[in-house]
Amino acid sequence: MRNDDLALEDLTAIADAIAARRITSVEATEACLARIEAWQPRTNAFLRIYRDKALAQAKAMDAELAAGKSRGPLHGVPMAHKDMYYRKGELSTGGSAIRRDWRAPVTATVLGKLDAAGVVELGFLNMAEFAAGPTGHNVHHGHCRNPWDQTRVTGGSSSGSGASVGARMVYGALGSDTGGSIRLPAAACGVVGMKATYGRVSRAGAVARSWSLDHVGPLTRTVRDNARMLGVIAGHDPDDSTTSDKPVPDYEALLEGGVAGLRIGLALPNDGPAPLDAQIGAAIQAAADALGRLGAKVSTVTLPDFTALYRAAEVMVKCEAAAMHRPWMEKTPELYANQVRTRMEAGFFIPATQYIDALRLRTHFVTEFLSTAMDGVDAVLLPAIPFPLPTIEETDTETKGGPAVLKMVAGFTGLTRPFNTLGIPALSVPCGFDSNGAPIGLQLVGRPFDEAMLYRIGHAYQGATEHHLKVPV
Amino acid sequence: MDDKRMHEKTKTVAGIAAGLQGMTYDDKRLAELAAEVEILNDAVRKAAAQRLSFDDDPAAFASILAKEART
Repeated sequence: MRNDDLALEDLTAIADAIAARRITSVEATEACLARIEAWQPRTNAFLRIYRDKALAQAKAMDAELAAGKSRGPLHGVPMAHKDMYYRKGELSTGGSAIRRDWRAPVTATVLGKLDAAGVVELGFLNMAEFAAGPTGHNVHHGHCRNPWDQTRVTGGSSSGSGASVGARMVYGALGSDTGGSIRLPAAACGVVGMKATYGRVSRAGAVARSWSLDHVGPLTRTVRDNARMLGVIAGHDPDDSTTSDKPVPDYEALLEGGVAGLRIGLALPNDGPAPLDAQIGAAIQAAADALGRLGAKVSTVTLPDFTALYRAAEVMVKCEAAAMHRPWMEKTPELYANQVRTRMEAGFFIPATQYIDALRLRTHFVTEFLSTAMDGVDAVLLPAIPFPLPTIEETDTETKGGPAVLKMVAGFTGLTRPFNTLGIPALSVPCGFDSNGAPIGLQLVGRPFDEAMLYRIGHAYQGATEHHLKVPV
Repeated sequence: MDDKRMHEKTKTVAGIAAGLQGMTYDDKRLAELAAEVEILNDAVRKAAAQRLSFDDDPAAFASILAKEART
């Protein structure tokens, strides 16, 4: 590998090259830093870049390897993360103005796991204010811009995670997903994003948007990269009582099963909050056809009406967000973007009984979904975002009001948020480009704790296609 | 929503804001909030009436995910 190509390699290739001592972690880190220098002005993906600290960390990782100590399959790999994962004593803004100078009292469990695995930290990434917003707008720190077309949105709320992985500035990044916030930026930026089963990954030490719906997960360039990263961060955590004690499978070892004989349900819903655009539908159909050629049995499935499920999610988010933000909303409301503050306010007026019923309904929604759309199939294939990516300007709810803009923004999460309510795993994988040259993402949805199945299908798909190999210029 | 019902809902939200939550909003915002709350409230109430019974426990959500796990 030549040094100027290093940043373009994927995570597993770099990790394996470092492990075999064909390259050093310092070389990989320098390659990422050079890439950041070139792409940060175009994307605004980073809020803070830790150049010296990252190089020192990489040097330490190289020294450990030279001394015969390996920390595992991510040893020496440079990454950066959404600026909502706490690191004790360090800044953590949550994308907000309110916490612009705030320092975290603890380190997030997932960062601790990545530290133990030898990951090098290049810095922290842009995000929607307090993880509230599906587009990547941020009035406090500047909007994040899509590496494929800087006039277009990145998706959110993990905007910097999508943009930095898409632009090859980092090999992997943590995002978080309350209504689509990993899968939307993954789809919009042409990368892979996993929202695993609720309880699979610890939320301890991460800024909450909604305790009941938040999911922590990785964004990477390939499915294999993603499987490796999830394998490191998943698992039970005594600091997050909602985590599961189910053993974490070796996702990477399970990738190669192929799709021959697997049953995949294809859903092209046209009755969600936003109608399905024809070119997006064609890209998803083409992905289904590709999986069919690999031996999967693809059949059409109909999704249940998600309206009640979507509204129940809104009740949970608004009530929980209103409760946690109340002190700031009372004392310093002007420090919020208007659209962030106003989206929470209804939470003060929803009766507690309705909030509790929304929580109680989830069990029924899961049972209904598994016995209908997922009955007899191993995974459901559907779009991540149902329309071509709009521009930053046309979705700017802070400067452009009106029902049409609000409807378009709400339409982003129409096909993602239901799976947060259901808590089941959902993977976004690049599957083409729209007529504007912006990426399109497919979404694979599976049974609870069946992340391995989604990775297996996604990996087979990437083995037969090249969408994920394209790099923005 | 007809005007009279809308007015009643807005008055209710205004009462909660001032009387229970210690918050103040202008009339326009109170009307917007009333409309938003009505949509969410009605959707959950209807879904709950169709599905929920006495023994439904929010904590069953984690159990159903574990029980339905493929692995």
